[in-house]
Amino acid sequence: MLFQRFGKFDGGIDLPEEKEATIDEPIRPAEGLSSLRVPLSPCGGAVAVPTVGVGTQVAAGQQIAAGRDGGVDIFTPLAGTVKSITTAAVAVGREQLTAPAVELTDLGHSPPIPEGQTVFAWTDADSDALAERIAEGQLTTLRAKPQPLVQWLADARAAGCDHLIVNAIQGQPFVTADHRLLVEHGADIVAGLAILAKAAGIPTVTIAVDQQRVSDYPELLSGTAEYSINRVALPRKYPISVDNILLEVLTRKEVPCGGKPGDIGIAVIDAATCFAAYRWVACSQRLNGRVVTVSGERTSRPGNWFTPYGADCRVMARADEDGPVILGGPMIGQVAADGAVTSPGVDAVLATDPTPPGTPVQCIRCGWCRDHCPARLNVAMLNDHYELGHVSQAERLGALSCVECGVCSYVCPARLPLTERVRQLKSSIRRWRQTMPLFQDVAEKQGDA
Amino acid sequence: MKSPAVTTAQSLPDPQVLSAADQSPLLRAPEKVHHILSVTIAAACLPLLAGIVLFGWQAALVAMLSITACGLTEWLYFRVTHTPAMLGRTHAYLTGVLLALTLPPTTPWFIVIIAAVFAILVGKAIFGGVGHFLWQPALVGRFAVAVIVPALAPLLPAGTLSPDALSPEKWGVLTPQALLLGNVENTAKPENYQGWQHDYKYKNAKTGRTVNPLEGKDAYALEHPADTLAGLSRGQPRYSSLARVRTDLPNRPPAALTSMPPMWDMFIGARPGGLGETCAVIIIIAGLYLIYRNYVKWQLPFAFLASAMIVAAVAPVHFAGPNKSVEIVFFPLLSEGFEVGYTYVNYQVLSGSMLLAAFLLATEMTSCPVTTGGQIIFGIGGGAAAMLLTLYLDTPIPAYIAVLGMNTFTPTIDAIWRPRVFGQRHLAWLLKSRR
Repeated sequence: MLFQRFGKFDGGIDLPEEKEATIDEPIRPAEGLSSLRVPLSPCGGAVAVPTVGVGTQVAAGQQIAAGRDGGVDIFTPLAGTVKSITTAAVAVGREQLTAPAVELTDLGHSPPIPEGQTVFAWTDADSDALAERIAEGQLTTLRAKPQPLVQWLADARAAGCDHLIVNAIQGQPFVTADHRLLVEHGADIVAGLAILAKAAGIPTVTIAVDQQRVSDYPELLSGTAEYSINRVALPRKYPISVDNILLEVLTRKEVPCGGKPGDIGIAVIDAATCFAAYRWVACSQRLNGRVVTVSGERTSRPGNWFTPYGADCRVMARADEDGPVILGGPMIGQVAADGAVTSPGVDAVLATDPTPPGTPVQCIRCGWCRDHCPARLNVAMLNDHYELGHVSQAERLGALSCVECGVCSYVCPARLPLTERVRQLKSSIRRWRQTMPLFQDVAEKQGDA
Repeated sequence: MKSPAVTTAQSLPDPQVLSAADQSPLLRAPEKVHHILSVTIAAACLPLLAGIVLFGWQAALVAMLSITACGLTEWLYFRVTHTPAMLGRTHAYLTGVLLALTLPPTTPWFIVIIAAVFAILVGKAIFGGVGHFLWQPALVGRFAVAVIVPALAPLLPAGTLSPDALSPEKWGVLTPQALLLGNVENTAKPENYQGWQHDYKYKNAKTGRTVNPLEGKDAYALEHPADTLAGLSRGQPRYSSLARVRTDLPNRPPAALTSMPPMWDMFIGARPGGLGETCAVIIIIAGLYLIYRNYVKWQLPFAFLASAMIVAAVAPVHFAGPNKSVEIVFFPLLSEGFEVGYTYVNYQVLSGSMLLAAFLLATEMTSCPVTTGGQIIFGIGGGAAAMLLTLYLDTPIPAYIAVLGMNTFTPTIDAIWRPRVFGQRHLAWLLKSRR
């Protein structure tokens, strides 16, 4: 067996796949960009300070801002002229932040992903040397909620992780960016993975891919054998692509209620970050861009585009009219705000109309949310507690275990925004724990756990 | 020489949250509450149509009255209180259909209206409407009239309402010739009832003429099979000697219980009962359709019926012993042989309103537990209670009372039967420690 096959999890749904438009489209350089607004805070933290003045001619790959307070330095993706310091909307996790950005015009040619020439013998370097080299790169992770790669590395080392899992499953409809990267640059991804594992000092490495796409990834086989990386193919059932669920399926360990994967000694990364890490560490190429899937029925050019950071999402989507544009996949993504630009957290720009949620009506307790919840939460009861304002009851039901996959809202026949309500309950619980710390004692005295 | 255009750290604003993903997911499954209710109404209309065929236009009248009264009551209540949780009256029509299924076809019109008003006001409205009620509303209405009718009858002028209007001694079932159009109250009882499709014409030996005892009549007058069976378990001498094996009758299945209608009649619904209770085959089809549509989990009706059958198979009954004595027989399934015992258990399940309760009434989404495990507990409890009430207590609507009783425990079951939440310890809700 080339790819190990693994188990199941409770709940979940079969989503429509909708990937036909872009699944076989090769990665191409982005077209039609006249200006960029390179965000100075791609991870949502402190804003990097620009080091170039307005009107300066900048070359591709030139540093234009210096990071502070743990933020990364910012480099130009393309050659151009700094027109102004403006603002742009950046998707970070579940939110869009409006942050300062450097506007570039008179852009140079948008290049394809360059060929990788190995200039650094990373196989001979030890863990600390690799970590130092990664720190030099000022890279970020390319997950939905990006963070500086150095930070990720430090967290993984601090948590004492002994297992690194690459979440290369794209479970959401439409999104094919990581899939194309695995098809075209599979060997680089595996090498990047080996680099990250070595830098973090993690012995066991597993790459999890979609069972249906296994035959498209021949490059993974030789590479994973070389670096003794486990290959796992998992069935496509949403939300297997959510970290906590993936870990449960792969390791039979569950992330504790309200915890992080690091709490059970596992670090999670994605394929695009491995690729970027390899290209920097081994080839000294800073990509300053990422592969973005453009799809949806209203776009005139579906495809997988290698897009520089700071490209306007509306321009990228090339939608005919003014309809909404979705950043990220349709399940955990969001509607692009005005002035949204591509950033490390955006792997798809979809010109598709969201299903109109319709008027929410009252819950009839059909139980579908509970049946499909991968965290086995009784979402109907959580909704009751939300409507009544019972935060402590919601905590007792385990609301903090919610993985925010969106399945409950998807299936709800009453069209209640269940995912959002549970999300608000979670933040209320966290706030309530801070503001009312003595409540814990009361609950224990009364004997209800 | 510093370039004046370079921005300093102080002049840069911190990132501000612009918007949160409060609409996600941006895809939604197509099914809405409205579809669930409409499909359930369609499924519930199947037994209703069977009832109208078997009991004639009076059944149709009861159904129309019940549906209209439920809709009107809900409309009036909404006009007065403006409670939003009423959901466009689809649920009221569903309640009306379900209520009609449980009523005898000869129910007086004002009793139907009383039942409908109780179903909507007491069963649903005072709890806050759809999604909030504790008891299945249609059953609340049915239970209310079961209590009200015997109490109300003496107060009304004689002849207006009989105290046993909802559980008469003799029920009518239309003959095969008078289906759909006959008058179910125009009854006759042929001697030695052999079954619904039997030909009762005989040749008079003296006159030589063919005599039809059902001449000019539309319906058989029959005793409710559940009453017949009750004699076995409650030890009434009138019935306890009936439990003799009789396999010598032609064209009949092996009969354990001689005065019961043939099993086939029980299956197609040609037996007395509420207008939607009788047609077992149609109720099962409707239930299976709801299961196929995922509106009902198969575990609940299955647990309900299995538990009822097991209780029927093991609960002691009175059988006739030698020399006209009456003996109590434990495990009726085993003591009289498998064939007789099996027939007996099937009769017990098919004769009352067990199937309707299991497939259409206990499965009401709002009033049954949310989790599959909770639904199995609910089904087991409901089925056992229904069968025990049928066997040993003289209640008019045992299966419905059992469902209402289990509905009462639904919040408790939901609170107790909690699957382990992702990342929590096993039995975290039971053990005191947190996390």
